[in-house]
Amino acid sequence: MSENTNNEKSMLDNISISYTGMFDTEVLSVLAKDIEGTLSSDEKVNKKVFKIFIELAQNISLYSLERAKSATGEDMGIGTMIIREFDDCFEFSTGNKTTMENIIPVMEKCDNINSMSREKLREYRRLQRNMPAGEKGGGNIGLIQVALTADNPIEYGLIKCSEDEYFYIVNVRINKEQPSEKKTLCKTPKKSTINE
Amino acid sequence: MNDIHIKGLHEAYFVPTVNFEVETGICELAGESYLEETIKFYTPLFAWIKEYTETIKKPLTFNFKLSYFNTSSSKCLVDLLNMLKTYQKNGGEVTVNWYYDDSDEDIDEELEEVEDFTIETGLTINKIPNSSLKN
Repeated sequence: MSENTNNEKSMLDNISISYTGMFDTEVLSVLAKDIEGTLSSDEKVNKKVFKIFIELAQNISLYSLERAKSATGEDMGIGTMIIREFDDCFEFSTGNKTTMENIIPVMEKCDNINSMSREKLREYRRLQRNMPAGEKGGGNIGLIQVALTADNPIEYGLIKCSEDEYFYIVNVRINKEQPSEKKTLCKTPKKSTINE
Repeated sequence: MNDIHIKGLHEAYFVPTVNFEVETGICELAGESYLEETIKFYTPLFAWIKEYTETIKKPLTFNFKLSYFNTSSSKCLVDLLNMLKTYQKNGGEVTVNWYYDDSDEDIDEELEEVEDFTIETGLTINKIPNSSLKN
């Protein structure tokens, strides 16, 4: 067996929950139940992953370029979600199609969020919460909430699919234990990348 | 003017329990708030507060017992608290209590957000641990 295949196998072994398709009400409800109830024995971690799931899933529903009609006729985004478990953390990843024009402000927002201390992030959330709701009803604070809940940076990447379409990936880690005295990231954060 | 009573639900979306009482001025918002149409759900609650503060004009006590709310709901909570602050500024008597589960090890994030609600709205929010209610 080649090294590459071994790596792929180990990646698959770590997957707790994986889904690709329409992010409609029914699917979200099933995924939410899995996360809340069965992801790990640690309720605290499950609650954090659940809170992150709600915000990132809503972003896919609202903003994914690839869309379909749900059974009830609602226009819903299509995307991918993967939760992987490691010894010291869970990794939550989402992906959806987008355009460069739409995603540049989001990536800038991630960079901005990652540069902020917890206090600054709270200040940013307070400011954004008092701004009018977005065009699609989004609260403009989902990503800020994700960073505050995970207490880790938001990593992102962009893969070019065609001339106009890109696949936007978000990755956040949720530490399993967070001892107050020696809090460390479970790994060195990967650099954000744009692959063409 | 009528009371508002909504039974909480934990299904595909999470509907919070709502009990707003005209007679006592005691209002409760409990459970979890993650709604399909957040603004549509909260609009009648805002209308109730508006009518109460303009016509009944008696003291209001808000008891929040929320274990989870998403970011869209948090925007509505701030709008609601801002209405209470305005009532207070105009001479209305307002008490806001936020009950939290102090047996939950991960309560810091929730309490941080309650502090932020106070900073955002200028309204005093009494943080009350659930354990203090038990004898």
